Amino acid sequence: MTTSIYERLGGEAAVDAAVDIFYRKVLADERISSFFDDVDMDRQRAKQKAFLTFAFGGPNSYAGKDMRAAHARMKLTELHFNAVMENLGATLAELGVPAALIGEAAAIALSVKGDIVSS
Amino acid sequence: MLHFEGKDYPLEEGESVLDCLLRNGEQVNSLCRSGSCQSCLLQATAGPVPAPAQVGLKDAWKQQGYFLACVCRPREDLALARCDVGASFDALVKQVTTFSPNIIGVKLSRPPGFEFRAGQFVQLSRPSDGLMRPYSIASLPSDNELELHVALLPGGQMSGWLSEAVGQSVTLRGPFGECFYQEGEPERPLVLAGTGTGLAPLFGVLRAAAQAGHRGEISLFHGSPQASGIYLRSALEELAASLPGLRLFGSLLSGAPSELGAQGLWQLELAPLDQVVFSRHPKLDGHRLFLCGAPSFVQSLRKRAYLAGASLSRIHCDAFAAPHPA
Repeated sequence: MTTSIYERLGGEAAVDAAVDIFYRKVLADERISSFFDDVDMDRQRAKQKAFLTFAFGGPNSYAGKDMRAAHARMKLTELHFNAVMENLGATLAELGVPAALIGEAAAIALSVKGDIVSS
Repeated sequence: MLHFEGKDYPLEEGESVLDCLLRNGEQVNSLCRSGSCQSCLLQATAGPVPAPAQVGLKDAWKQQGYFLACVCRPREDLALARCDVGASFDALVKQVTTFSPNIIGVKLSRPPGFEFRAGQFVQLSRPSDGLMRPYSIASLPSDNELELHVALLPGGQMSGWLSEAVGQSVTLRGPFGECFYQEGEPERPLVLAGTGTGLAPLFGVLRAAAQAGHRGEISLFHGSPQASGIYLRSALEELAASLPGLRLFGSLLSGAPSELGAQGLWQLELAPLDQVVFSRHPKLDGHRLFLCGAPSFVQSLRKRAYLAGASLSRIHCDAFAAPHPA
């Protein structure tokens, strides 16, 4: 069994390093910032941390049913999903993560696209 | 459905707990109605409390079910009770000083056993009718008196009364809030920004920093519609003697040329406060921030400070508001 990206990147410390870079990117991204612009920034940051932990294949509590319910109200499109993917890739590139590992994280995030984008 | 003191009140779609109770004739304290001032704190005894209703509360309070009624919109039944957190203290109004045409300083006797950190706030109530308002503490824990800064509002029930209340008793509850100086990092750069009487907690933080021998750079930004509202100027200039890194900035919305530019140790500018702050501090990595003022101002500055590199755990906010029009 291969170790997860999460472990290879350095576990929770790596997610902590990534979450502020990622959250700042999505807040500054006009395509999607309104979805992340929560008055409770601590709570929103915690959600981003959970997402990154999931994308890195780390310990997470991802439940497809909950994710579908939570995202359905936002009526998200392909454009929004791609924006998040771009910001995820850019965050990891900024941290010096090798392209192959970025690809693995992107593949995990891509696997749940059906739960997020409204069809 | 709300269950409150033996009565059941159905909630309308999207209605807050506070609005529902008021609509049904219950007497509940409230002020800002935006989840900041904590005047409308209640306690849930059964049923889930939505997370947004507990933003900014201490963890221990969250676990005990305390929540802010004005921003609580339950989707399920909730049983709730009035709460009585924190001890209450009796204090005497000792002195009232005029700081500016619209702001007074109110000095209270320090009640025995009342412990606080400079920059925290108290809920002050008038014994005759229970009228309650939050005010920040500008004094130091080592002082014998508590100094509050009070904005004189047109028709303001509490501010009008306080301005002539020397010799009267008041009741204090608290202290509350996380806007206070952090010991143990004397080199850290600090940015303090506030509007109006938001200077009170910042003044407390600065005095605590001076007492602790803070050596890092400190920028104080104070915003007011006009120059007369940049109060306590000389008291702050005196603090610069023990805080070598202190720089003082004022943001005005209107002012004559003679009121602008360098004024003593102050630099006064005709520009919105956020613009003055971020032109001086485009990068905030490693800084600690204290933001005090209207909720919309505080939230917007907090977000921009985070985007400029500040860590959320190092941004301390004290959002307060004028009484909500009934």
